[in-house]
Parts: sequence; C-alpha cells; structure tokens
Amino acid sequence: MKTSNESGVGNAINRVEGHLKVMGKAKYASEFPVPNKVYGQGINSTIAKGEIIGIDTSAAEKVKGVLKIITYKNAEKLKGYDQEMPFISTDTIAPVLQSNKVHYFGEYVGFVVAETFEQAQYAARLVKFEYKEDPKPTINFDKSRNKAFKPSEKSDYSRGDFKKGMSEADEVVTQTYNTPIEHHHPMELHATIASWNNGKVLVYASQQIVEDASIAISGTFQIPNEDVRVIAAFVGGGFGSKLNLDRHVIMALMASKMIGKPVQATVTRHQMFTNTNMRQQNEQIMSIGAKRDGTLTALSHETLSHTSIKEIFQEPCGMVSKMLYNVPNNLVTARLMPMNLQAPFAMRAPGEATGSFALESAMDEMAWKLKMDPVEFRVKNDTQHDLHANKPFSSRLLVECLRIGADKFGWENRKSEPGTNKNGNWLIGYGVSAASRNSPYKKTYAKVILKLEKDKVNVTIQMDATDIGTGSYTIIAQTASEYLRIPIDQITVELGDSDFPPTPGSGGSWGAASFCNGVQSACENAVSKLKKNRNIKNSEEVALADLLKRNQLTSFEAEGMAEPSDAFSKHSVFSFGANFAEVWVDKDTGMYKIKRMVNVASAGKILNPKTAYGQIIGGITMGAGMVIAEQSKIEPNFGNFITRSFADYHVPVNLDMANVDVIFLPEEDKIANKMGIKGIGELGITSVAASIANAIFNATGKRMRDLPITPEKLIEAGLEPGVKI
Amino acid sequence: MPKSIFMKKSDKSQQVNTPDELTADENIILDAMGLSASSRRKFLRQVSTGSLGIYASSFFSSEVFAQTVQDLPEQAQILLNEIKVNLRVNNMVKPLAIDSRMSLLDALRERLALTGTKKGCDHGQCGACTVIIDGKRKLSCLTLAATCEGKEITTVEGLAKNGEMHDMQKAFVKHDGFQCGYCTPGQICSSVALLEEAKNGEASYVTEDLKNIKSGLKLSEEEIRERMSGNICRCGAYNNIVQAFKEVHSGDDVMPTWEFATAEQMKKAKNA
Repeated sequence: MKTSNESGVGNAINRVEGHLKVMGKAKYASEFPVPNKVYGQGINSTIAKGEIIGIDTSAAEKVKGVLKIITYKNAEKLKGYDQEMPFISTDTIAPVLQSNKVHYFGEYVGFVVAETFEQAQYAARLVKFEYKEDPKPTINFDKSRNKAFKPSEKSDYSRGDFKKGMSEADEVVTQTYNTPIEHHHPMELHATIASWNNGKVLVYASQQIVEDASIAISGTFQIPNEDVRVIAAFVGGGFGSKLNLDRHVIMALMASKMIGKPVQATVTRHQMFTNTNMRQQNEQIMSIGAKRDGTLTALSHETLSHTSIKEIFQEPCGMVSKMLYNVPNNLVTARLMPMNLQAPFAMRAPGEATGSFALESAMDEMAWKLKMDPVEFRVKNDTQHDLHANKPFSSRLLVECLRIGADKFGWENRKSEPGTNKNGNWLIGYGVSAASRNSPYKKTYAKVILKLEKDKVNVTIQMDATDIGTGSYTIIAQTASEYLRIPIDQITVELGDSDFPPTPGSGGSWGAASFCNGVQSACENAVSKLKKNRNIKNSEEVALADLLKRNQLTSFEAEGMAEPSDAFSKHSVFSFGANFAEVWVDKDTGMYKIKRMVNVASAGKILNPKTAYGQIIGGITMGAGMVIAEQSKIEPNFGNFITRSFADYHVPVNLDMANVDVIFLPEEDKIANKMGIKGIGELGITSVAASIANAIFNATGKRMRDLPITPEKLIEAGLEPGVKI
Repeated sequence: MPKSIFMKKSDKSQQVNTPDELTADENIILDAMGLSASSRRKFLRQVSTGSLGIYASSFFSSEVFAQTVQDLPEQAQILLNEIKVNLRVNNMVKPLAIDSRMSLLDALRERLALTGTKKGCDHGQCGACTVIIDGKRKLSCLTLAATCEGKEITTVEGLAKNGEMHDMQKAFVKHDGFQCGYCTPGQICSSVALLEEAKNGEASYVTEDLKNIKSGLKLSEEEIRERMSGNICRCGAYNNIVQAFKEVHSGDDVMPTWEFATAEQMKKAKNA
C-alpha cells in the first residue's frame, strides 16, 4: 500500500506518549496503585567468597511493622541451573537465597518485608550475618590470568593465515586497549510490585522483554507460564540491564507467596552495582598489518574478560574486527576468567561499543604510521562482502557515511601533525571512527483492533513490545497510521503486557524492525481480510471506515506476524555509521572538552527522525561517558565496588555534552525486511570512544589506550614515537 | 511458551472484561478516571485491562489528584516514630500520619499517589526527584516530609493549569527533551525553577563576573548546561533539553540538528 500521511512512517512527529511523560502520568513499575502492598528490601553479602555460618534476625524481628525475614534457611526451594557454568540469556532463571555459599561481594543473602519502606530499610540493616570468609577470593583481573578459559568453540575464529599476513606487511601496529567495568545505570531503579495470588503471578516490573521475564519467573518457580503475567507499560531506561530478570523480582514474589500480600521491591542505586548486571572489563590486544599503500594484510583481535563463578557471559568485542574491513588474514579470540563478581551481561552495543574502541583506535594508529588520512585509510579497506559470514551485506554505505561526514565536519581543516592546531592554552584535535552494528530481526506478532465510531475508525494495537525510551509507542502508531491510512490520533498503542501477542521485546537493536513489520503485517491482514470478504480487489483503495461499513461491521480484529525472510538469512545485515569529534585539551591540566560531533547513520528506513536522532545522541552521550569518566572500580582487598553511587561513578551530565549534528542517509534496506528498517539504538554508541580518543591524539600526540581518559592519565602519558611537539 | 498467536494467554485479551471481573486495583484505576457504571463498561469494551495503566494515566490530571488520593486504600500501617504533617501539594492540603524518617519523595509517591516525582538514586545525586518548594527547586529525596508543614510544594503534576500543559512541558514534547521519560519530571521542575533563577539574576558556577550580576539574565548555552547539570539523563537527551529550555527562556526556537543526506551528496560520496 503506497500511501503516506502526515503521521505515517518517516515523519518527525512528537512522541505519542510524550504528554504522559512530561506531566508525570506515565506509570513505571513501582507506580501502580496496588492495594495492600508492603515493602521488601534485599540484604547484601559483605564478603566476596565464603559461607554464612550464623544469622541473627532477632533485632530486626522486633522492629514494628516487620512481616517477614527471608534467608537461605527459610527460602522456598527454587529451580537451580541444570548445568555448571551455563551461558546466561534473557530468559535465564534467577534462583536466589538457595544456600549459605557466597560468591561475590553484594550477593543477596536476605530479604526483609515490612509495612513501610522505612521499616524495611531499617530492619534490613539489623539482620546480622556471620561469615566464614575464604581468604582468597578471585577479585584481581591481572592476577587471575592463569584461570582464563575458552568459553566455547565459537570463541575463536580465523580466516587466511594471520602470521603470513603480518609478515607481508610494511607497517605493523600491536597494542593493548583496556576498557573498565561499566554499569548501565538507567534512571529508573530496577523495581517491581509482585503479587502471588493462589498460584497466579502478577508482576509489574521494569523489564525490556516481558515475555522472557515471564519465562524466567515460571522457570524459577516451576509454575506454568500461563499463570505468570508481567507488565512493563513504561520502562525508565534499560541499556541492557533490564533484558534479563533480576533476583529482587524473585525475592519479592517468594515473599508475596509467604505473606499473602503484594510486595514492592526497589533495587537501591548502591545495589545497582552488584544486583543488576554490568559491562565486563576487557583487555583487547590488537595487531594490524598493512602495506605502504594502506592495504590491510592482517588483523587480530584477542580479548580477555571475566565472568562470574557460576555463569558465563562474554561480550563479543572481536565481532567488529571480523567484518568491518577487507582484510584477508584475520584472527579473533576470546577468553574468560571466572571471578568473584556478579555475572556480566549485555550493555548497549555489547562487543561493538568496546571492540570498536580497540579496532578504530588501532586503525587510527596505523593511519598515523602510514601517514595516510584516517578517512581515506578506512575507505581504501571497505568491502561490500562480509568476509566472516561469507555473505554479501544487505546494504553497506560506510564509504558514504565517512565522506559525507567528513564534508559536514570540515575534515579538510584537520592538521595531520598532532599539537599544531592551537587556541591559547587549548590544543585542538579532530578524530574519526567508523561504526557498524549488527541489525537483527526477530519473529513478532501483533494484533490490531478496529472500532467504527461515528464514521471514524479508532484503532488499538496490542503487542508485548516495550518502549524503554526508544520510541516504540510512536513508531508503532506511525506504522499503523501508514498502513491503515488513518490519522495517528485515532490510534492507541498498548504495549508491555505479557498477555499481548509476543514480540522479542526491546534489546539488541531488533525492536524497531521487528515491531513495525509485525504491526504492518497485522494492518495488512485486517485490510485484506475485509476486502476479501466483500470481493474487493486488493488494489482498489477503500477508506477503512467504508471498508467496515461495506462489511456491515462496527468492529474487527486481525493479527499479524513478521519474521526474517530467506533473503535476510542469505545476507549480512548491519547498520553503519561514522563519528567525527572535535576535542579541545588544556595543555597544562589535561582537562578536555568535546566541542562538537558529527554522526552519520546509515540505518535503513528512518521511521521518525526525531526519535532516531534521540537514539543517536543518546548513544553518543553514553559513548562519551566511556571516554570521560565511566568506570566501576573494585576494592583490591575485599572485592566490593568502591564506586557505589553517582558521586563516584560519573555519567555524563548536560555540561559534558556538546552539539551533535546527525546526518541520516536516505536508504531503505528491503533485504533486511519488508519495511526496509535497520537498528539504530546501538549504532550511536559504537566507536564514539575511538573518535574522541583519536581526536585527543590529534590534539596532543598522546595515544590513550585505557578508558576512561582522565586528565591525570593524559598528563602522565608520554608522546607517541614520531610526534614532534 | 510457544510463540503462537493462538496461545492461551493471548486469548485472554480478546475477552470483554466486565467490572465484576476486575481486580481491586483495576477498579481503583477506573474510579480514579471517573469512569463508573455504563461509561466503565463502554471503556472496557474498548480495552483490555492489561493496559489500564496507560489509559488511566492519560485520563489523570491535576484535577483528579484529590480523587486519586481518596481512592488510595487506607492502609492500616503500623508506624514507627509517627508524626502528623499537613502537606500542601499542588494547592491541595492533605493531612498525613507518617514515619518521621519518611522523605518527601516517598510521601509523594507512596502516600499521595503522586508518582510523577521519581526516585532515581535516593541520594541527592541525580535530580529525578526535583520538586519546587516555595518557588525553589529542591531534591525531595533529601527533604524529610515532616519538615514540609506550611510549605508550598509543586510537583510535575501541578504544573499544568486547567488541563493545559506548562510551556516548559510543551517545549519538552516538541523538542523531544526525553526518551524513557524517567528523569523528565525532575528536568522539567528544574527548568521551570531555573526560569525564575534567571529572572532573579542568581549566579552559577560559570557566571563570568560575580560582581556584576543583573536580574533578567538571558542564559547562554553554557549557562543552561551548567545549571541543568544536576539532573542526570542517562538516555542522553541533553541537547534536546537545552533546546526546549531555550525556547521557553528566550524564545530561541532552534530545532535539533538532524538532516538527511541529499541525492547529490550520496552521489558525490560514492564517486569520490
């Protein structure tokens, strides 16, 4: 159906749920008026490894209003992992309080329920635990290297002959890049109101994938999935931290079952460091070989990270090195060390965000060695074929991203010699980086409900998708507006209820493509069924209201489903982009300021430039955070995080950011999916850190290979060999 | 669960719910929306109960605030250190018996159902809980409710007048000054109070000349960014927040800086 209207896809309309958010009416997990709810508070271990040998609840029990104190001694028996060291996923069970063993500092060891929040908080502090502490917890990254293991056969990849490729090179770069533990810190604390009512479970929770949360709950409690309902109408940011089910939800449900009342539990900001997931620390060793003319001959990307004692997760840092450039000889490896820390999991662009820092920094180092322009060096090594997957890209406009961005940014004004662009005490640098992000697409169902009211058709769309700030409500409404050809104010979108038709939820940059194609299918089914009933040709244009009238109907429902096509699986589907940064560094203090950035995004059909722009600048802000400040630090003796609030873990604030010009490339990737959409939520963060680090090199002649780049590190760093300042 | 469209759970949402089948909390939401008897049945024919939260919130407004509060169940709470306080919020006075340790933030959210004010850190570090007390922006998580007797508290729910959004709220929608929306009430309360701070000529960290401060300041972009840096937005909507503030503060209506590459640019880039 080839029509469009002012509120159809592609238009920069305001968010349809915007008025609810600005008026304080959007309801997040802990904001539903559930009667008789009581308050739960988790208690954390204060050792990194050992056993609980004594628990004294007497003082806590005396606190007025305390209803229940749960520890491993009286907790309900839950399902445990079927195997040792399972790979965790978005629907993995979340057993908790099952033994006296402690695996990391901050692990939940108890849960207090009381009439009020204040009572629960106070009583939680009065529960005394006695531990038999293991004196040798594994908490030091550098000292744990002998514990490194290869998590799976897929961890290693090679093509061609890496060593031969390096021997053929005229120039080589071999460097190590370090990225620290990071935490997502969505502004909404992970929270729940959980009710267990005669075996039926109703959970309001901040989850990115309600379906998978319901699977995790039913799996943990071993109850039928149809008895579990999860609602997440609004989610106050996720960034990966709300992909899986966290254990406060299980503890709240267990408590609700015991006391017969709904239990509200909110993870504190301090607990967000230990009881939600995190991005792991990565040590990435890069080797690049290139001919004098800039042709890449070899590339290796070897990553060492850590996982928990009980579970496996590793972000695929080397992914980007397998597919971004035309390099015949390629080696990618990944190793993990089990440590006494909580399980890491996906944080915005897992693999790409950190891997691109290493790759795109190393590429910049090579360009410097070759005395080549960094933009042209990347263009020279472009490929339209994914050498890793051995498939063509569905579309790849990386060269366009780089060149158009360079023009917009004024790249021609860049001085290639570091330290030569000055303004008073400021050293000015320009940096560039290329970006790629896998663009998955997953099976999605949607339901459309049409109601004829006074010659107008009011439409409701239902699906269990979520809007975590990404704009799902808006782009889904726009899709319905487009394909039903009605104005958006006649459309209501209902999301975030696991009773609605299933979707893959929000994560991994698959949301927009999956949701909208699902909705498109439902709308198309509705219209074609109504036409078929009256023998109307599909090509004939009939207004929706007339269609219902000719069917003598006042209401009609249809469902739809979309899933990847054969063409999708025969191609490699990625979004591409380029980042350009201008950074001013104070030559004496090492303080620096990101002055401006240009981002070019090639992400298929842009459904709504306003919300897409939000995704890009949001990614850039988090990418800037990787460079300027973000780092979770572990106390070396005890294994606790010494960064335990926003006072220690610094995320970017308004003054840290600068103007960002975003250019979208006009494309529709019809191989990717029917509507031509690709993911954009994680593209924005990818390689931002490298563009800023490269700009810092251009300004100062100092290569900063450890994130974050703090002023003291910058002052201490020496000049790169060959730099004359 | 198999991802089948004809799954059992999906079927549930096809049923037409009647008020008798609603849970207590769903009934409360409908009461708060002022929907009863026939209008309630009509409403329920249109929606499944799962999405009541969204519907309810779109019907809520400051006018039904009192009704919302009355409809909150009177919980027989056993209180420690009980204190009585009359909270004047958005021009409504509500007498409360509270725990002396209760923050204003928790009083608003847990006792008055004014959940527009958000808990982002409970430590005074993120700004999500910002409200306006006697004309000044304050962190409600660092304010004990018991100290608020006689004070004039305005929350994000109280900014609209007669159902019409405050200019700052409109500007945030127009400039997309948010994504997930969780920091938004705090950002907006901060912005509204900042308008007054600029009018009064209050200094900031980046004020260049502290000896020469005038009232009626037109804040520079750097000033706006500095003065809004107490409100963290993890989604990273800062640039749009600045644009929204500028429009209300100085009438500078600059839209965000996105564009599409032209066909000519595409051709040139490809052939370069």
